Amino acid sequence: MAWITEHPPRTVDLDSCVTCGLCLPMCPTFRLTGDETASPRGRLAAITAVADGRLTVDERFDEITSFCLQCRACETACPSMLPYGEVIESARAEAVAQVPHPDQRLRRFALGRALAGPVTMRVATLGAAAMQRIGALEALPVVGGATAGLRPLPVPLPSARGGAWGPRDADRVTLFTGCVADTWFTGIHTATVEVLLAAGYRVEAPEDQTCCGALASHSGFGDDAARMARSNIASLTGDDPIVVNVAGCGAHLKAYGRYGDDGGDLAARTKDVTEIVAEAIESGRLPMMSPAGERVAVQDPCHLEHGQRISREPRILLEAAGYEVVEADPGGLCCGAAGLYQVDHPDTAEELGREKADKVAATGTTLVASANAGCEMQLRRYLDDGYEVLHPVEIYARALRRGGTGPAPSP
Amino acid sequence: MSLTSDLERLLGPGRVRHHPLDVAVFAKDAGVVPGSVLAAVLPETTQEVAAIVRLANRHEVPIVPRGAGTGLAGGAVPTEPGLLVVLTRFTSIEDVDTVGRTAWVGPGVINLDLSRALTGEGLHFAPDPSSQSACTIGGNVGTNAGGPHCLADGTTVAHIYAAELVTPSGDVVVVGGEAPDTPGLDLRAVVVGSEGTLGIVTRVLVRLMQSPPDVATLLIGFPSVESAAATVSDVIASGLIPAALEMMDKRMVAAVENFVHAGYPTDAAAVLLAEVTGPTSTVLADTERIADIAREHGADDVRIATDDDERALLWKGRKSAFGAVAQAAPDYYLHDTVVPRTRLVEVMNQIYEIGDRYGLMMLNVFHAGDGNLHPLVAFDAKEPGMLERVQAAAKEMVKASIEVGGSLSGEHGIGFEKRDLMPLVFSAVDLDAQARVKEAFDPLGLMNPDKVLPSGSRCFDAAGVRL
Ligand SMILES: Cc1cc2nc3c(=O)[nH]c(=O)nc-3n(C[C@H](O)[C@H](O)[C@H](O)COP(=O)(O)OP(=O)(O)OC[C@H]3O[C@@H](n4cnc5c(N)ncnc54)[C@H](O)[C@@H]3O)c2cc1C
Ligand code: SF4
Ligand code: SF4
Repeated sequence: MAWITEHPPRTVDLDSCVTCGLCLPMCPTFRLTGDETASPRGRLAAITAVADGRLTVDERFDEITSFCLQCRACETACPSMLPYGEVIESARAEAVAQVPHPDQRLRRFALGRALAGPVTMRVATLGAAAMQRIGALEALPVVGGATAGLRPLPVPLPSARGGAWGPRDADRVTLFTGCVADTWFTGIHTATVEVLLAAGYRVEAPEDQTCCGALASHSGFGDDAARMARSNIASLTGDDPIVVNVAGCGAHLKAYGRYGDDGGDLAARTKDVTEIVAEAIESGRLPMMSPAGERVAVQDPCHLEHGQRISREPRILLEAAGYEVVEADPGGLCCGAAGLYQVDHPDTAEELGREKADKVAATGTTLVASANAGCEMQLRRYLDDGYEVLHPVEIYARALRRGGTGPAPSP
Repeated sequence: MSLTSDLERLLGPGRVRHHPLDVAVFAKDAGVVPGSVLAAVLPETTQEVAAIVRLANRHEVPIVPRGAGTGLAGGAVPTEPGLLVVLTRFTSIEDVDTVGRTAWVGPGVINLDLSRALTGEGLHFAPDPSSQSACTIGGNVGTNAGGPHCLADGTTVAHIYAAELVTPSGDVVVVGGEAPDTPGLDLRAVVVGSEGTLGIVTRVLVRLMQSPPDVATLLIGFPSVESAAATVSDVIASGLIPAALEMMDKRMVAAVENFVHAGYPTDAAAVLLAEVTGPTSTVLADTERIADIAREHGADDVRIATDDDERALLWKGRKSAFGAVAQAAPDYYLHDTVVPRTRLVEVMNQIYEIGDRYGLMMLNVFHAGDGNLHPLVAFDAKEPGMLERVQAAAKEMVKASIEVGGSLSGEHGIGFEKRDLMPLVFSAVDLDAQARVKEAFDPLGLMNPDKVLPSGSRCFDAAGVRL
């Protein structure tokens, strides 16, 4: 049997590819190489060859599938609406299960266990904060390279988990805190809570939620990802909307339908923070600030634009914050951040990162909005000093504060 | 030494793909039938292409040029174990002459990228196949591609002044020239549309068109296919030449709307997409005239898009039509016949009838302006006997078109998949003449063999008779 995991790529999905090739130009790795083995249609053909029993999962299969950024730009282009993201995740799981890899155990521990545990995350983060202060963090094996562009890590460590803000009788939303975001990107949580409170919501962040599992799933640790998903499904119950402020996590939570009906229910309640804030702005629950003559460059994270088909909402936030929005790279390619991609394919990640940074720099603005933590780090890494890269909700929160709508509560 | 190891020595291992999985990746284009690939190579210069051709000749291995592989006729896959020469790395756009409106471009440049690169100059490359976001200029030259806007501007052959060609023996020649009308035989026109059977195009001198000052796009819903077709005839008869006139039937509209959400009227029996270009006053007048003619024929739903975003969305609908069919079934067979405009309705009805008789699901989308029909059969090739049924029906549909004075292929090419239908259009003498041209270019018969011309085209040879 060619497939050995519990959830191999599904034949119905593979069958829906009519090999039209319309996805090719959207694919960053195809654009860089001109090589169809690095294209969506090509990867699907390779996966189909295994699914049909014609070929087996070998090292080349591992290479072909791991070179994919999982940016899902091909999904947006695909007229037959093939769910490429899910197919490639299952294919990666097969490759990981069948092709030995030198750092497999360390990776599995990092992505499958450490991210899911509040204690491991805190220990790791404290260690990382110390190393970041002496400049040693980026030199770490395997994961070190992925930490450049990180915001300065705070000590002591904050966490939004277990918090609750706002009046008890207000409309409730659940804040999804995430793993890395909770400790490494607290500013985004602070801004999210601040803006949602201003919109009249009560915000709760259940204590026992965990990592969404996206990184594990993208890296082929499907079982670990499923375990995290089940844990979140058990924790994030109720009917309240679940607000997510990392595009990668949001896209993954919205795909929880694969874990059954209750997963589908959670997926249906999941909203990117820009969706809920844009809605509040449009319905008048949040103010539009008057234009201040400043400009902001907007970058579209793949897992927002392609994974969730959201591109209008971040712009609404930025315009409401009083900025003129400048397009950095409309319809452009992935910035190359893509989780652990830079560990496996540093050259491609760098090429894409530099290309994106150049486009941002060409806008002539130094304030950049990105709604995904990974992209934010990637942009910071390749932009010169003097650029400020923030989440749109942080930019809106700052404008709100300047507009004098009350002091900022801290989570 | 095997061919692959010779190629690896020439190009380095990273640009020669021959692992079984790689070979599976390249085994298909956007057509239906998979081919058989020995290896795929990614050259970067004309000299490399020439060296590859000579190596393949030495090993007596057939060569197939390939662009983006969006071709619909199996033209870009070898029928017997062969070498794919992939031109996607030829992406240069050079010597843009904004006065003479020309540029030298690599065959790997994506059609839409070329026009996008030139928006600043107010220029564009006119042929706009629905696959233009993906297909390459080399592929367009190969198939003499057309598109919605070729109604007014002509197909690719009218937009290529010259092409650099690596011949089947590995020599480099230029056909055509900088001047629009070069003396001697017009080999340029022979090469354009030859589907990679006469050589590998490595550089093209393209003709660029000035982008129109103003554009309007109309989306019109009709109560019947007949009324839509009658509108098309009357529009053309009135002397108007719209930039594009496209038609879709109800099933196609449903598939497309489900993908793009562009507000296509899903309750209409047929939808017409028309575009007019020119100075603003002309655009306004022409738009009104088309809308009036449509209303006279009972159109109840006329939508006019003037802003770029809405226009782009409407076109996205039309241009995703073929792919959107995958929602209906995993495979599709796309016809490309051309019929006289006056016989459109008659042929369409016949096509529906044939589809019904074979129990096939038919969807229709086509360039109504020039009578280029694209009836599309959606099916599942895994069903036993299905492919044969589809092909049998295809033959009948093509016959129906030819009987009213039509032709086999408007723009998608013949390739492998429509090759055996050629005798329906051409006499043995015609085919023999074409085979002689092929032989003059490619005496070894190694350049994209088995394509376009059915075996035995040199019939007079077979019969031992010489003209
Ligand atoms: C969704 C969809 C819509 C389409 N709509 C249209 C349409 O509206 N109009 C239309 O005309 N076609 C259409 N096509 C067909 C196809 O896109 C065109 O035929 C296009 O020109 C092929 O370009 P390509 O780069 O993909 O070429 P390929 O498919 O790679 O090759 C096509 C042919 O050209 C040859 N070739 C490629 N490159 C070279 C070269 N450098 N030198 C010599 N020969 C070469 C190949 O050998 C092959 O025979 C459509 C296809 C799809 C999937
Ligand atoms: S997910 Fe991104 S990198 Fe992977 S095939 Fe699709 S477009 Fe290419
Ligand atoms: S766009 Fe979709 S159907 Fe077309 S080749 Fe890509 S994945 Fe397949």
